[in-house]
Amino acid sequence: MTTTLLEVRNLEKKFAAKSAWFKPKQYVHAVNGVNLQLAERETIGIVGESGCGKSTTGRCLLRLIEPSSGEVIFQGKDITTLSKREIKNIRKDMQMVFQDPMASMNPKLSIREILSEPLLAHKILRSEHEQLLSETMRLVGLPEEHLSRFPHEMSGGQRQRIGIARAIILRPKIVILDEPVSALDVSVQSQIINLLQDLQEELGLSYIFISHDLGVVEHIAHRVGVMYLGEMVEVAEKERLFEKPLHPYTRALISATPKTDPDEVKERIILKGEIPSPSNPPTGCKFHPRCAFTQDICKAIKPELREVEGRKVACHMV
Amino acid sequence: MRKLETYKPIQARVTYKSPLKIKSDSLQKLSRDKRAIVCIFFLFIVFIIGIFSPLLAPHNPEELFYESILEAPSKEHLLGTDAIGRDVLSRLIYGVRVTLTVSLMAVTITFFIGTLIGLICAYVGGWVDNVLMRIMDILLALPSIILALAIVAVLGPSLTNAMIAVGIASIPGFARIIRGAAITIKSSGFVEASRSIGSSHSWILRRQFLPNVTGILLVYTTLFIGVAILDTAALSFIGLGAQPPTPEWGTMLSEGKNYMLDAWWLATFPGLAITIVVFAVNFLGDALRDIFDPKSSR
Repeated sequence: MTTTLLEVRNLEKKFAAKSAWFKPKQYVHAVNGVNLQLAERETIGIVGESGCGKSTTGRCLLRLIEPSSGEVIFQGKDITTLSKREIKNIRKDMQMVFQDPMASMNPKLSIREILSEPLLAHKILRSEHEQLLSETMRLVGLPEEHLSRFPHEMSGGQRQRIGIARAIILRPKIVILDEPVSALDVSVQSQIINLLQDLQEELGLSYIFISHDLGVVEHIAHRVGVMYLGEMVEVAEKERLFEKPLHPYTRALISATPKTDPDEVKERIILKGEIPSPSNPPTGCKFHPRCAFTQDICKAIKPELREVEGRKVACHMV
Repeated sequence: MRKLETYKPIQARVTYKSPLKIKSDSLQKLSRDKRAIVCIFFLFIVFIIGIFSPLLAPHNPEELFYESILEAPSKEHLLGTDAIGRDVLSRLIYGVRVTLTVSLMAVTITFFIGTLIGLICAYVGGWVDNVLMRIMDILLALPSIILALAIVAVLGPSLTNAMIAVGIASIPGFARIIRGAAITIKSSGFVEASRSIGSSHSWILRRQFLPNVTGILLVYTTLFIGVAILDTAALSFIGLGAQPPTPEWGTMLSEGKNYMLDAWWLATFPGLAITIVVFAVNFLGDALRDIFDPKSSR
């Protein structure tokens, strides 16, 4: 974990909300100034509630959604300024695995056709197709006969293996995993997680692992970023974060995950209220209406992400 | 389960199906549908009649029988003769050719341009979609036959122009249906996945959109054949389509209407022919819709 492969600076995405005539345009701030660094062979987990902008962040990195501002630097180039043609080359090195493997595959195409799509799109020599296909099927632990099947003929876990196969068949450097296991049942989840770890070792991949499941993230990630309403509130090494979360929101999240030991005494922090609407976010610290430690300063001034105890936290009270 | 080599894939419980299975599923449903079978059979016969009309027609459609003008159906002329002594049955049989060619060609025009516009609107969206669809809305506000009339008026009356006019006039309706079907595909995960892979737009349209609208395309192409037959006949009826002496059902109908009271057979048989063929096409279209597009049936 030495060289930085991908760096995200102040990534922002605003969606235009319902616009009426003669009224100023309203925006929903889905992602608001996210900073990230991803090293080679590293897995960074992004966690947060639904609607906090973690999936939007992932899509912005690939420019599936055009970011409103900010920089995404990959191999020394700012992706956000590249033309459509250049972005295609980037996509060879950066692939994505989606949450619902059934929805992300065309039901009318066979597995062979689905897996060939990246090869055709990036003009890989025809003579190499067969070898890549069979090698990738072996890597994801599926028999080659499955190539002639259709997505609906497979189980959820097998389908997600195909989703992963499609992402790694071009041997990318970075794979963005958008809730790759949330649609699977728990026993299959662990198989897929193990598979991802094996692939990382074998192919030297870097992962951006987007999830709402802290348990899964704790297992796979090296570093974890916690998002709340489009902002990173805490970024830390996994061990530190789970041992001693600093941000009140992180603490609440971690206290909500079930513990394996029933006798362990645990403090349960229950958040008040709902997640505020991103179109009309609270002033100052966005978390203040739900925070147990709110002071006047929280309502007025937005806390910046700063180094505390070897990690980054955005809270006045820490 | 830490090492890849030791990992054993779970055997799927699903039995293996050949790639053709999906298609044969629909075919099987089709073969069980009595309506569809009857219609296909009937239309097949009509098609055969069209192909072999020179063999099947008892007379030359343009041959004049001076001794039997406006003769009622008889043994010699099964469906009677018209005002200048031509055999109605022969003209009807030759008319199948004209009707089928014109309507199929018209539908081909509709099919290609309509599908293209529909898919582009759905895929590109934004102002392209807005502009194209508003144009389609304006065209839809005109009854398609009036639109066809206007096009023929510009191009001049002939069978080819009628064909083009009918084809163009049906594009708006067709494009809208395809757009509606394709727009749900745009928001599906696999189109996003395709984009994330870096596939080209044309690839996405061909490989992701088209296979998912084939059923709907099939259904509405069939239904639009019925519309095309009617529109062509209507244009010919008012003298802007097939020109005499071409044996076309609409033209025959128009020639026969002047003799409605004296010679009922002149207008009745072409009228019946149009009705029955269009009915069969529409019935088949409905049957296909039940199979390929079950959501929109009833």
